[in-house]
Amino acid sequence: MASRPTVTILKADGSASGATHPLPKVFNSPIRPDIVQTVHTGVAKNKRQPYAVSEKAGHQTSAESWGTGRAVARIPRVSGGGTHRAGQAAFGNMCRSGRMFAPTKVWRKWHQKINLGQKRFATVSALAASSVPALLLARGHQVSTVPEVPLVINSEVFSGAAIAKTSAALGLLKSIGASSDIDKVKKSRKLRAGKGKLRGRRHRQRRGPLVVYDPEVDGKELNLAFRNIAGVETSSVFALNLLQLAPGGHLGRFIIWTSAAFKALDIIYGSSTTPSALKKDFLLPSPIVHQADVGRLINSSEIQNVIRAAKGFSKTKRAGVQKKNPLHNKQVLLRLNPYAAGYSKDKIGTKGLDAGKPERAKGTQFAKVIKED
Amino acid sequence: MAHHSTQVSSDLIWEISRVAVGEKARKRNYVHGLKFGITGNQNSYLVKRAQSGGIQFSRDPLNLTNVHSRKNAGFVNDKAVGVAPATDGGVTLITKKAKHPQRPASQSHTTTLSGKKSTRKTYKTIASNTAKSGYRPDLRASAIARASAIRKSQKEPKDLPESKLRGAKAKKAAAEKEE
Repeated sequence: MASRPTVTILKADGSASGATHPLPKVFNSPIRPDIVQTVHTGVAKNKRQPYAVSEKAGHQTSAESWGTGRAVARIPRVSGGGTHRAGQAAFGNMCRSGRMFAPTKVWRKWHQKINLGQKRFATVSALAASSVPALLLARGHQVSTVPEVPLVINSEVFSGAAIAKTSAALGLLKSIGASSDIDKVKKSRKLRAGKGKLRGRRHRQRRGPLVVYDPEVDGKELNLAFRNIAGVETSSVFALNLLQLAPGGHLGRFIIWTSAAFKALDIIYGSSTTPSALKKDFLLPSPIVHQADVGRLINSSEIQNVIRAAKGFSKTKRAGVQKKNPLHNKQVLLRLNPYAAGYSKDKIGTKGLDAGKPERAKGTQFAKVIKED
Repeated sequence: MAHHSTQVSSDLIWEISRVAVGEKARKRNYVHGLKFGITGNQNSYLVKRAQSGGIQFSRDPLNLTNVHSRKNAGFVNDKAVGVAPATDGGVTLITKKAKHPQRPASQSHTTTLSGKKSTRKTYKTIASNTAKSGYRPDLRASAIARASAIRKSQKEPKDLPESKLRGAKAKKAAAEKEE
């Protein structure tokens, strides 16, 4: 078996430090956009706050129906007199100042339970997708200037709170070629359409890179450094969140790893045979079909050695082809009537009656063939 | 011929994939077939419009025809070809190398073909740098067509011919000329 692929660990200036690390097993997990999407829709609902209209809204009047016989609809009507309000319809969702249809309640089912196994599957799937440059590009990350995916920076760069200031963080992002992704985020900042502006969601913008670190080795100061850079998020490797790994349920978040966090992945997720050290009863999912490239399977020597030779031969009649007219198509004519070749070569058709009788076939090669037993 | 009818079981497939292909290549292939499956319906390059029967275009720089399709999608492939206008006339040929699929920064190779070069030479260079040297031959025609369209767009448009005068204006002009 070939050796496991390795990932270069980068220095602060974006060049290779010389050290490498084998690719953690979690990156070989199956990429399942369907699972990620369903889990994301569930998880995204779990931060909602209940809202509802007032219980009393539309019912703060003593309206009674007038019953039949008054040539008006039987809807409850405001009692009393002396004001325009008296006699107006009330309560109904179709009425002015009536209650809404099916008034919203605070006891709506706001949160979704998602099975732990599914959540874990979605997370490892999203992690695996973050190591495929094409999926990062498809998500819209500007990664064409990035030296390697997955992008791993040596933890020494962060040690001793070296990256605690935004300027230092920006310098680091620039030197590893992530600045174009940051610029994209900056340019994308727009005023939100609609009421969300008034509700603490004034602007909308793209997502930039996610910086994943190990708090025990890298410290937490880098949080302060990165938090004011638009679009950049930070996360501890021990608390990865699907909402950050696959925003909107779309796979391929651009992740910047510290080397300590990258090394921790094998401990956190284990492999498909050794259980995770931190997650109870968890083995990494493995793809059901390991070689999905069917063409490659069919053409492999193992299969080619045991299969029968293909039936038929090159002249086998092909089904479903257009019928050719032998009067127009010479090749089809010759296939049906081999005599036609000599007929046209000797111009027999134009000789006419005066040409005399044709030569007898007796004694020629043709006669021999005909009489052969 | 009993021994020929060996069933291809999933175990065999597993064995083959382990033996015939290395771990890295296995992963890459697995992902390779999947990438367009994941991104086909939604990706950052895709332009969907309701007009013209829901036409779909692509903004992928490695898509030669700008049409969204598996055949033309360059970003999902390890090897791909792109042609873009150069800043000072001419065209830039972008080729994506297959050697290090995990290293985006060193993956693409650009060649600028000057606008001073004849178009025929430009096309020749594009053909020999791509289809002739191991890139997909079915993209040759579209690469050249794209280069041709770019070169044509860079030409100075000719002025419209002066419009002839008609009717009363023409008579007046003729009378003025006679005087």
